[in-house]
Amino acid sequence: MHIMEGFLPHPWWEIWFAISLPVVAYGVYKMNQLVKEQRDSLPLLAVAGAFIFVLSSLKLPSVTGSCSHPTGTGMGAILFGPWITSVLATIVLVYQALFLAHGGLTTLGANVFSMGIAGPIVGYLVYKAAMGSRLNLYLAVFLAAMLADWATYLVTSIQLALAFPAATGGFLASFKAFALVFAVTQVPLAIVEGAVTALMFKYIFQLRSDVLLRLKVITPATVSRMKEASL
Amino acid sequence: MHTLLDDYAQCNALKDVSPKVKLLLGLGSILICISSSTPAAPLFVAVSMSVIIVGIARVPVRFYAKLLLIPLSFALLSSAVVAFMHGTGTPVFSLSVLGLDLSVRDDGARLAALLIARTLGGMCSLFFIALTTPMIEIFSVLKSIRVPEVLLELSMMIYRYIFVFLDQAAMIHNAQTMRLGDSSLRTSVNSFAMLCSVLFLQAWEQGERLIVAMDARCYDGRLDLLHQSSRTSARSVMIVLAYLSVALAVAVLTREYQLL
Repeated sequence: MHIMEGFLPHPWWEIWFAISLPVVAYGVYKMNQLVKEQRDSLPLLAVAGAFIFVLSSLKLPSVTGSCSHPTGTGMGAILFGPWITSVLATIVLVYQALFLAHGGLTTLGANVFSMGIAGPIVGYLVYKAAMGSRLNLYLAVFLAAMLADWATYLVTSIQLALAFPAATGGFLASFKAFALVFAVTQVPLAIVEGAVTALMFKYIFQLRSDVLLRLKVITPATVSRMKEASL
Repeated sequence: MHTLLDDYAQCNALKDVSPKVKLLLGLGSILICISSSTPAAPLFVAVSMSVIIVGIARVPVRFYAKLLLIPLSFALLSSAVVAFMHGTGTPVFSLSVLGLDLSVRDDGARLAALLIARTLGGMCSLFFIALTTPMIEIFSVLKSIRVPEVLLELSMMIYRYIFVFLDQAAMIHNAQTMRLGDSSLRTSVNSFAMLCSVLFLQAWEQGERLIVAMDARCYDGRLDLLHQSSRTSARSVMIVLAYLSVALAVAVLTREYQLL
């Protein structure tokens, strides 16, 4: 759900930049701290960023026949938390604009807010809440990735509706229309992405659960619980 | 599998022009497009940028034409919503779906046309930057405007690894396709998840090796960029400024003129 270059009029593109900038700046601050603490985390963050880019350039198994790409925001939020994900997402969005022609430079602020901030925060909260209530790990990942996608798509609809309110009914009518039109592609896409992310965690858990432990995605208690369950 | 726009940035006829000039041209025309109040200036920018990209930078026409299709679906869908929801003037087109009376009014249609034109102009300007300016040169511009070091360094490493992982993803995807990995929706979701997880683990291990390799070469938290000395020539700045003022003049002169 990228808003393309040129679509957001003045003053909305500036407003979204102003909203996104402090969050990303805080993310950079957090990342600086992390890098000072553990020097070797920068290369790992870099490969993670490249991974998110490559993920977003692949075509998901198509459901509606539309061109659908995974966003990877839910996954990023689960693995690295929302702040660092916002920094990675900003860089990835610039590359998507420059290498794949998805999104744009003036609409970067709005896209960063929907895909790099709102989506990851929702995904992260859902994941934490689900793990807190001792839900199955894969179900938690599925819900987090799917709801992060839906949050992204709702925020994009809100952004478009704010910029172009309807003549009768104003913001709300316009929001409904945008949400309805994009729902056709976005709702099934989010379900597929949720399923893919959950399966992906299954494989990673089987092969290298130590990576997930290091990132503090799961606790040793979860690992032993799941190993017991699979015996 | 993928042709990135970056491939052309490395080998186009304008690659030796200073990156600052090219960024000035691209960003300047984007700003003119989104602040113009009629479709005339964005369309002027779209056409002239396309001529510059194909004619002067020598990017193949067929590749460029395909690129123009990417923003189309988003622009048409969203503009359609705007056309139906916006406007209070006289209806120019109406239909009723399931008892709902939908109509496009003249000012809504005008706004939709303006948005399509702006998106087109903006995307063409973005393509100009993407297709003519190598990323390394953009990095050196970003460095000179003091973007935080850690951000730049992260970007450079991400840039490097994008290409490594794209190749790996293509190889895994080919292997899966040959073994009928996407014969049905169920198997293709499964294959896709497998591709992602293998890619993630390969990326992670690559990252671990990268730490060792960089440590072995005395990495101290700073990657230095080799500046390429492409001078900003006064002539190119003049040409760009002349172009931008023509585009601006088109925007200002046509601001009263309505098509519909």
